Amino acid sequence: MDTNRLQNLKNQAISSILETKNEQELEELRIEYLGRHGQITQLLKKIPSLSPEQKKDKGNLINEIKKIIEEAIISQKKNFQQKDNQEEWFDITIPGEKPVKGHLHLITQAIEEITDIFKKIGFYRVAYPEVEWDWYAFEGLNIPKNHPARDELETFFIQNLKHPKYGEAVLTPHTSSGQLREIQRLGKLPVRMLNVAKCYRRQVDISHAPMFYQFEGLVIDQGINITHLKGTLDFFVKQYFGPQREARVRPFHFQFTEPSFEVDVSCIVCGGRGCRVCKQGWMELGGAGMVHPTVLKNGGLDPTKYTGFAFGWGVERVLMMKYKIDDIRLLFSGDLRFLEQF
Amino acid sequence: MNIFILDSWLKEHLQTKATPKQIGEYLSLCSQSVEKITKVGDDWLYEIEITTNRPDCLSVYGIARELSVILPRFGIPTKLKSLDINQEIKTTDKKALPLEVKIKDSSLCPRFTALIFDKVVVKPSPKTIQTRLEKSDIRTLNNVVDISNYLMLELGQPMHTFDYDKIKGHKMILRESAGGEKITTLDGQIRPLPDGTIIIEDGEGRIIDLCGIMGGKNSEVDEKTKRVLLFVQTYDPVRIRQTCQRLSFRTEAASRFEKGVDPEGVMLAMNKAVQMFEKNCEAKVASQLIDIYPHPPHEKIVKLDIGLVNKIMGVEINQKEIINILQSLGFMIKVDGDSSITAVVPHWRDDDISIPEDLIEEIARIYGYHRLPTSLPSLAMIPQNKIDFSKWETKVKSALKFWGFTETINYSMVSEAVLKDFEIKPEDCLKIANPLSEEWIFLRPSLVPSLLQVASLNKKEKIKIFELANVYLFQSENELPEENLMLTGLVIGENFTKIKGIVKSLLEELGIKDFEIKPYQLQKTFYGKIFHPSRRAEIIFKDNSLGIFGQLKKEKVFVFDLDFTQIVKEANEMKKYQPIPKYPPIIEDLSFIIPEKTYVGEIMKAIKTTSLIIQSVELIDSYEQTRTFRITYQDPSKTLTAEEVEKLRKQIIKILKDKLGLKLKGKGEN
Repeated sequence: MDTNRLQNLKNQAISSILETKNEQELEELRIEYLGRHGQITQLLKKIPSLSPEQKKDKGNLINEIKKIIEEAIISQKKNFQQKDNQEEWFDITIPGEKPVKGHLHLITQAIEEITDIFKKIGFYRVAYPEVEWDWYAFEGLNIPKNHPARDELETFFIQNLKHPKYGEAVLTPHTSSGQLREIQRLGKLPVRMLNVAKCYRRQVDISHAPMFYQFEGLVIDQGINITHLKGTLDFFVKQYFGPQREARVRPFHFQFTEPSFEVDVSCIVCGGRGCRVCKQGWMELGGAGMVHPTVLKNGGLDPTKYTGFAFGWGVERVLMMKYKIDDIRLLFSGDLRFLEQF
Repeated sequence: MNIFILDSWLKEHLQTKATPKQIGEYLSLCSQSVEKITKVGDDWLYEIEITTNRPDCLSVYGIARELSVILPRFGIPTKLKSLDINQEIKTTDKKALPLEVKIKDSSLCPRFTALIFDKVVVKPSPKTIQTRLEKSDIRTLNNVVDISNYLMLELGQPMHTFDYDKIKGHKMILRESAGGEKITTLDGQIRPLPDGTIIIEDGEGRIIDLCGIMGGKNSEVDEKTKRVLLFVQTYDPVRIRQTCQRLSFRTEAASRFEKGVDPEGVMLAMNKAVQMFEKNCEAKVASQLIDIYPHPPHEKIVKLDIGLVNKIMGVEINQKEIINILQSLGFMIKVDGDSSITAVVPHWRDDDISIPEDLIEEIARIYGYHRLPTSLPSLAMIPQNKIDFSKWETKVKSALKFWGFTETINYSMVSEAVLKDFEIKPEDCLKIANPLSEEWIFLRPSLVPSLLQVASLNKKEKIKIFELANVYLFQSENELPEENLMLTGLVIGENFTKIKGIVKSLLEELGIKDFEIKPYQLQKTFYGKIFHPSRRAEIIFKDNSLGIFGQLKKEKVFVFDLDFTQIVKEANEMKKYQPIPKYPPIIEDLSFIIPEKTYVGEIMKAIKTTSLIIQSVELIDSYEQTRTFRITYQDPSKTLTAEEVEKLRKQIIKILKDKLGLKLKGKGEN
């Protein structure tokens, strides 16, 4: 059992392994060398009968050769498997098994998006009562007794509910009722409110539901002016509708702001050239204005020191503009064929 | 209110080279919104939305007046042409036709003017007038009636014409209607009169005018009319509006009166009308001018601090520019010094301008909002509410979405029938005093009925829906109701364990542990009656109910109804770190035969509490009377030996046998 013979055996084994063409040939070689009667196995069996000196040298060598041959076989086997994998026929067009999928309401998605946009510029989200006293909803906001909004034809009143100081209870027709609540909650300046809530009005048609959502921004501080209002709504319009959209403010009238504005966005359909959907290239987004000094006073603030701006827009209105939905009532219909689209 | 104005008519009052497109754009930017510009023949028609504070713009002349200020600021030279009107109305002294007028309450009619014409020839109007009225969407009738409509559009002053000879006794009493009177209006309709309506009766007590809205049929001008009584007045806007609302009837005239017509503009309209009667109807003035005007408004003065203009607009505008703008709008200005001015409000803006901020709006809009720069307010420290509801809302909604639920949003108002269906007493609920329909009368105290409506509407075998919204609970007659956020889900096509699993996962997602699920005890929600009496459970946490869930009584529908306000108070985002165990667990499955009516929960609790070494117990199989549990043994301080596990197993088997009568069936090890 000389060393050269052993080395030749190893070399021959390895070259035979590399020459095999399939797994069966490889298995035959494995048996030839490593099987129970294989050449290497036979050699291993002879080790105990060797002299102590040879036992150590040859023993180590034979064991090493065995290990090398084993590795060569494993590596060759991997080659065959890789080749097999490459040639395997497998159908990737089979439909996937999806996890069950639900849907968030479009209004929820819009509210989350709107909240995130305003959060970036420091607005803090709050919520205030939907059933509200007249004072917070109207009187305190400089809306006089005989104003149409306070008429029972426009606003829902609650039966048998009245506060000695704040008057009758109504379903709040706008998120502006949160203005005085927030000023009172903080008790001091500054104010950076985003109030998102359900509102109610006595009107039903394709663009009005008796219940709808508004989001209201209110900023009061020293030195707040119209340029801040313009900047804020510009930021919102570009974030929500896309950077190519333009916003403009034009004069309007509200009791609780002075000056008052209406905010328009360049039309989503025609891009501002003018079409059937829009008004001379513009779509109305909603109202805004500088907080009326009477409202500041009613909130206990000094209107000669502080100024503020506010805006209150319909959540459904902005999302309907964005998704081109033509009937607001669909949103509250509970029709899963609609809800599952989003 | 939207009005329609013809470009050619507008330009009769305006000397300008502005194109319709320019007029539309610049008027919108600085005054009233032009919503549409349409080509009509060789003319253009503007549709303009007029805000409620600007009734002075509800006319061709009013819009021309605005444009004469606005267009020059865009570099388009423009002048308002003066109205070609005589200073004095020449009335007859001799043979003046009589009219006796009595006004019961001058607040009903701040200014009352009237004039009688004789020798009126009734015939069609001249062509221009006919065309202008028709293009402005107003029907032409005859030269007399057309004058009143024409001048209403041109000057914003509605007027009315009577056949003088049909007014019995040549007497008029202007008063409030009372006791359910009626009038037949010009359109032939019989209209019951709400109390408080402004009306006129003649000498025989016949009602001849529904003031400010529409005249009476019994006094109308027809082809045979020879003598015409022309009427130009202003009325209390609130009463006109209330009557229109109660009658659900509104005319062009009423729409103007309810917004307020300038009493100082009355004579201008009267003058122009006289001119037109003489020219178009060959008529002669045949009476004295009646002008009852007991309380002409005082001159209105508003002081303005120049510093405030800059403070609100955010840009520096000098005093000279401010004065120029205000003067161009018709204000008379007195300079009080370097930093202050006094403005006298023009009569056509009397109702709208009262405080300095009103003047600033005028200055800013004419200066141009579009010329102001943009900036963002600085960030600020705001004291936050203790609980951030919207954060938790987002979290649970998104969890439910990914577990296959679809969110619905339903109206807060429900019908009486819906409440009764769910055994909720309507008298316990808040009721809307002026509901819009039968469907929406009560504020819902529970979201369950709404979700069931959605389920029945969709008619599907499998449904998973939820809603997160306020319910409204009456407190007392002078307190606002409690508005409590509820998280309610409805599932069809699943079983009790699935619902229970969802509830448990939701609570765990919110960091609420150690809650107990107990039989429903009527602890909190008053409508538990709609649940199946035995298949309902309550979630108890720190002795409080967090909600109920289970199967409904009527159908195989599962519902969870959670008190979200309460849950969020207990929610906790903080997670606790526990070291990863160093020694391997031993896991084995044990099957028991259980007596009837044994609660699995009690078995599992008994196994779990046998030893601290038992980390978890799961129910992995149920078949007939056999229950198989997977038990995980793990000691944090050492590797368990087979002997130790066997000892524990024997303990478990003994406890279950002694306490609950369970029999070990067989065992397999993993």
